[in-house]
Amino acid sequence: MWMKEILMALIGLSCGFAVAGGIFALLIALGVVSDFADRTHTAKHIFLYEDAVAAGGIIGNLLSVYQFVLPLGNVGAGMFGIFSGIFVGGWAMALTEIVNIVPIFTRRLEMRRGLELIIVSMSVGRTIGSLMYYYYRW
Amino acid sequence: MSDILYVKFEKNTRTYNQTITLGEVGEMQCADSAIVNRLKTEKLHTFHHIKKGSHICAARKVFSILDVVEKIHEVFPTLEIQNMGEQDFIVEYSTKQQENPVVCFLKVAIVCLICFFGSAFSIMAFNNDVSTVDLFGQFYKLLTGMESDGFTILELTYSLGLSVGIVAFFNHIGGRRLIKDPTPIEVEMRLYEDDINTTLINTSSRNGSHKKES
Repeated sequence: MWMKEILMALIGLSCGFAVAGGIFALLIALGVVSDFADRTHTAKHIFLYEDAVAAGGIIGNLLSVYQFVLPLGNVGAGMFGIFSGIFVGGWAMALTEIVNIVPIFTRRLEMRRGLELIIVSMSVGRTIGSLMYYYYRW
Repeated sequence: MSDILYVKFEKNTRTYNQTITLGEVGEMQCADSAIVNRLKTEKLHTFHHIKKGSHICAARKVFSILDVVEKIHEVFPTLEIQNMGEQDFIVEYSTKQQENPVVCFLKVAIVCLICFFGSAFSIMAFNNDVSTVDLFGQFYKLLTGMESDGFTILELTYSLGLSVGIVAFFNHIGGRRLIKDPTPIEVEMRLYEDDINTTLINTSSRNGSHKKES
C-alpha cells in the first residue's frame, strides 16, 4: 500500500514540477510581465512582479485544485476579473506578436499606415467576442 | 600624434541636461589623459524640440558613432579613434527628475495585482483545460482501485511540486536569490529593452532623420 502512496507522491510532485516549468516559461517568454514593467517605467521593481506571478500561480493552483470557498463577494470577483482580463489581453496580443501576424499581413497587403486602426480593431474585436461568448453562455 | 583614442558608448543613455557632452554619454580612454579630459567636455548635441511639461522622455535622438568621430576630429583632426562599443546609440532627454512616489507606488501595485491575478487565472485555466482534478481521480482509481474523494496525495504533491517548481524557475523567494543568476524576468526585461533600442535605431536610420536634423 505505501509503495503505491510513494509512487503517487512522486507522480504528483513531478507533474507539478513539469507544469510549473512549462506554464511559467511560456508566461515569461511571451514577455507580458516585462511589457507591463516597461510601459509603467518600473523595471526596478521586477523582483516584486516575479513574486506576484509566483504567488498568483501557487495560490491560484490551490484554489482550482481544492476549490476553496473565498468569501470576497462581487468586489473580489470584479478585481479578479479586471486584472486577469488585462493580463490575458496582454498575453493574447503577445501571442499575436510572436507569430508575426501583423508584420506579415502589412507586408503582403503593402500597407503603409493604419497600424493603429488594426490594433484598435483587434482590441475591440476581442472585447466583443469575449462578451458574446459569455452572453450566449457558449 | 600617434595616440589611439578608444571610445565606448552605451546603447541607451538617459540625461537630465539639455546640452549633452561626450563624457556624459560615453567612455573614452587614451594614453594621453589630456585628450580625454578635453573631449569629455565637448558638446555633442543640444535638445531643441522638447515636449512641454515634465516627461520621462521629453526628447530622443539617435546618434551614429560617426557623429562622434566628426566631433572629435573637429578638435583633434589627426587622432585615431577605435570604437569599442555600439555603432549607433540613443540619448533620451528627461525633464522629469523624480516621479511622484504615490504615482509610482500605484503603478507598481497595479502591475503586481495584474501579475498576481493573471497568473492565478492562467494556472486555473490550465488546470481546467486539461481537467487536472478528473485526471488525478482516474489515476487514483487506476493505482489503488478506490474512488478518489478529490483530496488525495496526488493533489497534495501536485500542489507542492508546482510551488517548488515555480520558486525554482524564478530562482528567488521574496528578495532572496537561490542561485546567483539573473531571474527569467530580468533576462526577458533586458532582451525587451534591447529590442526596443534596436528598433528605435533602425527606425531612425530608415527615416534617414538622424543625419539631417543637427
